[in-house]
Amino acid sequence: MTALVEVENLVKHYPIRSGIVFRHDVGAVKAIDGISFDLEAGETFALVGESGCGKSTTARAVLRLIEPTSGSIRFEGEDITTAGASRLRALRREMQMIFQDPFASLNPRMTVRGILREPFTIHGLDADGKVESLLEVVGLLPEHADRYPHEFSGGQRQRVGIARALALNPKLIVCDEPVSALDVSIRAQVINLLEDLQAQLKLTYLFIAHDLSVVRHIADRVAVMYLGTIVETAPTDDLFERPSHPYTQALISAVPVPDPNRERARRRILVTGDVPSPINPPSGCRFRTRCPKFATSLSEAEQRRCIDEPPALVDRGEGHPSACHYAEARELV
Amino acid sequence: MSEALLSIEDLRVHFHTDAGVVKAVDGVSWSIAPGETLGIVGESGSGKSVSALAVMGLVEVPPARYESGRILFKGRDLLIADEKERRAIRGKEISMIFQDPLTALNPVFRVGHQIAEVIQAHEKMGRIAARAKAVDLLGEVGIPNPRQRAREYPHQYSGGMRQRAMIAMALALDPVVLLADEPTTALDVTVQAQIMDLLIRLQSDRGTAIVLITHDLGLVAGHADRVLVMYAGKVAELGTLDDVYYRPRHPYTLGLLNSLARMDQRRTERLQPIIGQPPSLIRLPPGCPFNPRCPFATDICRREMPPLEPKDGPAHLAACHHSDQVALAQSPAAS
Repeated sequence: MTALVEVENLVKHYPIRSGIVFRHDVGAVKAIDGISFDLEAGETFALVGESGCGKSTTARAVLRLIEPTSGSIRFEGEDITTAGASRLRALRREMQMIFQDPFASLNPRMTVRGILREPFTIHGLDADGKVESLLEVVGLLPEHADRYPHEFSGGQRQRVGIARALALNPKLIVCDEPVSALDVSIRAQVINLLEDLQAQLKLTYLFIAHDLSVVRHIADRVAVMYLGTIVETAPTDDLFERPSHPYTQALISAVPVPDPNRERARRRILVTGDVPSPINPPSGCRFRTRCPKFATSLSEAEQRRCIDEPPALVDRGEGHPSACHYAEARELV
Repeated sequence: MSEALLSIEDLRVHFHTDAGVVKAVDGVSWSIAPGETLGIVGESGSGKSVSALAVMGLVEVPPARYESGRILFKGRDLLIADEKERRAIRGKEISMIFQDPLTALNPVFRVGHQIAEVIQAHEKMGRIAARAKAVDLLGEVGIPNPRQRAREYPHQYSGGMRQRAMIAMALALDPVVLLADEPTTALDVTVQAQIMDLLIRLQSDRGTAIVLITHDLGLVAGHADRVLVMYAGKVAELGTLDDVYYRPRHPYTLGLLNSLARMDQRRTERLQPIIGQPPSLIRLPPGCPFNPRCPFATDICRREMPPLEPKDGPAHLAACHHSDQVALAQSPAAS
């Protein structure tokens, strides 16, 4: 397998400005702070984490919908962070996005036909007959083409959003929380559709989600983000069966499973407090302020290391990379 | 089971709109005993929140109309009680927390003031004593530095802290019933775990009965004693947690459990979705509202609404003509 996308040391800082006459920077929101990962062609790579961890910013930066502060993103070997406007437009045919909210991401004043023709018009391509075949691919009917978004249910609307993303035959699709706005009974339909399309069209997915149950089902590999950095990454089953970073462990242990007996038998690892501000993240390991391991089972000298030295994302003998000085795999599900 | 504290009997709440009559709650009954947790599960538009809102008197009439039913709290019917009597119960004996704490907290008043206001509305207590109690409550729900935090405004709180503040307000008068409508849906999972932990601790300290309204079958599995499954304004199934998860008798319950991606299992080949879309409450199909999506449906399902009847035991109810066949299809949780 070859890497379709290579992200290296990606940084996105949003400056905080102050002053009315003399504008000057007084700090920065460190949304992404040096992350690296590869997407192999044909795989589903999931970025998970809680709100504010930088997963959506990363997704948008990969498509260059926002300009990264530094770092490189290579698509099929080509650095797209330096690509000019016309080159970028051509590249956009290869990489598309599915949004979380199918109510907000479709223009309410355009028919489905208009929405699905637009990508072809923008790229100067012939759209004849394409609308009907796209609708069929996503499980909608040809007569749906002349309806407006408000005439559809949430699940159907998400299908329209998927059809639009597929229009130009992209290689990469960034899925930003594609099922979290949908009703429980509809989610499985859309997840199955995404999987079928991947198999048929050899798509690569960058899947952004906070719902670990969906991620376990759909992803091949997972990276867990916390405060703008990747804290652990592994093949999916490995991550869920042998999580070694305390944050991943807390995250997995916090997700309830729909099985009363298992729930009774589980022990929760509670983290305390809230995520610190990305303007001024803690020194050393960013998770240490909430880390149950730091608080309960480390000696003072060991804690010192967490405070002083940011842990590198490397394999410490647990089988996959984990950014914890004291990484130790635990079985939680 | 001990005597019901709060019970809803054959409640029908219909909304009269220009497009037609929305039967948001259509013949729903449930009850809750002291210290118990009842999970109410359903999708958006299933009517799962409306019966709780009706208990609180938060359903606006019109457009809503109560077509039938009683809401009994300690033997008194809240629907016919006068405003003074209802006001004495609401907030004091029964209180509610919501999904979005920002809409429940007033943005222009300090959090401590708002909690003190609730206390003073119901109890003869001086301003200073009420403020002091508000600070104690904020501390009890795990807000660090409560004395200072009480003087802050809701926007200065994080999402998890706002939820804690709302819980503090709801518990200010030691209610015997807490209605929790999607209390953790807007929160991250680690914060969700904190909030649920808090609710359980408060429940075991005070013996509060909790109605947990959610779409999350995992959350219910971890916390409820009994479960009510709603579909299209009606009760599809009601039973103990284990009955509903391990021995479902309604195809909708079975379908939901089957369709879930599971974090605790290796990837299955494909998920088994429920086909079709949830129905519009204005144009419900004749017969059982689930019949167009149901793999067990036959002619009778398209003609007659099945009654909610006991299945293998008096406490396990399901509204399905073919619940015996559903029982034969194994629930994934049981495997």
